[in-house]
Amino acid sequence: MIPQLTREDLKIIGYNLGRVGNIIGVLMLVPIVISIIYQEFDIIPHFIAASALALILSNLAVHFLNTKKEMELKHALCVAALAWIFMMMLTAIPLYTTHSTGSYLDANFETMSGFTTTGLSLAQDVDHLSHSINFYRHYLQFIGGMGIIVVALTVLARSEVGSVLTFKSEGREEILRPNVARTSRAIFGIAATFLVLGTVLFAIVGIYEGMNVGTSFFDGVNHAMAAFSTGGFSPHSQNILYYHSFPYEIVALIIFLIGSFNFAFHYAVLSGKRREMFKNIEIRTIFITLMLSTLVIAAGLLYFNVYSSPEILFRKAFFQAASAHTTTGFGTVYPAQMSNVWPNLPQTMMSIIMLLGACANSTGGGIKAIRVGIMAKAFFREVKKALSPKTAVVSEKYHHISDTPLTDTVVKGAALITIGYIVLFFVGTTVTMLYGYNGVDSMYETSSAVGNVGLSCGVTSPAMPSMLKVTYIFLMWAGRLEIMAVLVLVGFAILALRKGIKK
Amino acid sequence: MGLRKFSLKAFLKKNLDFIAGVLSEVGLTAVFIAVAALICLLLVAVKALI
Repeated sequence: MIPQLTREDLKIIGYNLGRVGNIIGVLMLVPIVISIIYQEFDIIPHFIAASALALILSNLAVHFLNTKKEMELKHALCVAALAWIFMMMLTAIPLYTTHSTGSYLDANFETMSGFTTTGLSLAQDVDHLSHSINFYRHYLQFIGGMGIIVVALTVLARSEVGSVLTFKSEGREEILRPNVARTSRAIFGIAATFLVLGTVLFAIVGIYEGMNVGTSFFDGVNHAMAAFSTGGFSPHSQNILYYHSFPYEIVALIIFLIGSFNFAFHYAVLSGKRREMFKNIEIRTIFITLMLSTLVIAAGLLYFNVYSSPEILFRKAFFQAASAHTTTGFGTVYPAQMSNVWPNLPQTMMSIIMLLGACANSTGGGIKAIRVGIMAKAFFREVKKALSPKTAVVSEKYHHISDTPLTDTVVKGAALITIGYIVLFFVGTTVTMLYGYNGVDSMYETSSAVGNVGLSCGVTSPAMPSMLKVTYIFLMWAGRLEIMAVLVLVGFAILALRKGIKK
Repeated sequence: MGLRKFSLKAFLKKNLDFIAGVLSEVGLTAVFIAVAALICLLLVAVKALI
């Protein structure tokens, strides 16, 4: 029987939310550096006001809800789910007050899209946003990609038990180092390495393509943050297509493919275990599914005579497929082209791979390659069982950092999360269709939101119905938290309503 | 007094491993890109033959 909620439960949640909120308040001050560099002094008060509000609210929570009690899993899941909502609402303030979005709801959509590394955007006139606000959007994706709670833990780690629970409640399942604080620092180190590499590569290509040095570096750092976090925001409304540059697209591909890999995999490879690249189930799975989907998408586009040259086919079909599968959302095809020019076959294939998603414990979203790999192996195991004599013992294992037996519990866990994503997909598609969009476009846009991808076929726009914006905010949030934290939060609310709260 | 003896060999070894790791990951993405390019090339060739 589930025990009745107590006031202590609420205090634990509120206190830890306050601690995370403090970090958000401080992190919101970082873009002020860009405001100073570009002399955009009128933007600074917007960041300071939002940061001050976050710090005041957080400190009130920490002060009045102070508790020494440790978090349990149910608290950690609620903290993770609620933290994302409060982060969205607080970080939306500078976007709204600087009129970067048309409404406060649009600002919330933008920040949830940023934090969840989705990349769907409702920002107004992206090409003419101030440098500070543009940096702020990409910066939200970067810290969201690392897992904002991981960021908070790096600074605030108080006890290992509570930290591990919060860490796992945010959809991260592996501890790379002996404790969570050191794991968080390792994740930050890996992200910083690829951020520097990406910035330098993007800037070099930008300069090579004739852009000035300042713009090359500014675009470079923004694209590197968006690419490594598999976010997909860009300082340009035309996204990567703005550059019409093959080398720029190749750099983007390299950085977002790396961003889609598991942090535990990065840690293993960077520590010298390079054989992991050939043995890891996630790398094998994502390679196979990405190549198969590229084959189907490219064949569909070729069959329907959309593109004919191999170079254009690669730059359109593979770039879109890789961007969708890694849940990045960078595009080299206009949203209207996706809806009106691309045939249903490749567009539907894109919807499927957006749901499959990147590797677990990465910056990416979706069902995750490890679960797809585990379920594929489970299918093979069942076929083997059926073909073997009754007395034969059929066992299977998979390799991810180390060899792990494929147990029914592992398969059940993978299947449950997959079912959760499919339910979200059907709900989102149905709601989108209710607003009059066609089935293929509805599936595409919903997959993009649920899988935290960010590619659009034109449904997402400031003019879309408000309820659809709210639906997509929910889908991005639930998708990023891998559903479970959201379900526990709903369970908490139902429990409080039905049984009340014990003193 | 709290300072460990600096070893250039150990420092280089540690960082070489790290740099080799970064390059290996870039190489892995290059394999992805090359195979995809080959798929596109083969598809166009097959269509030209049919």
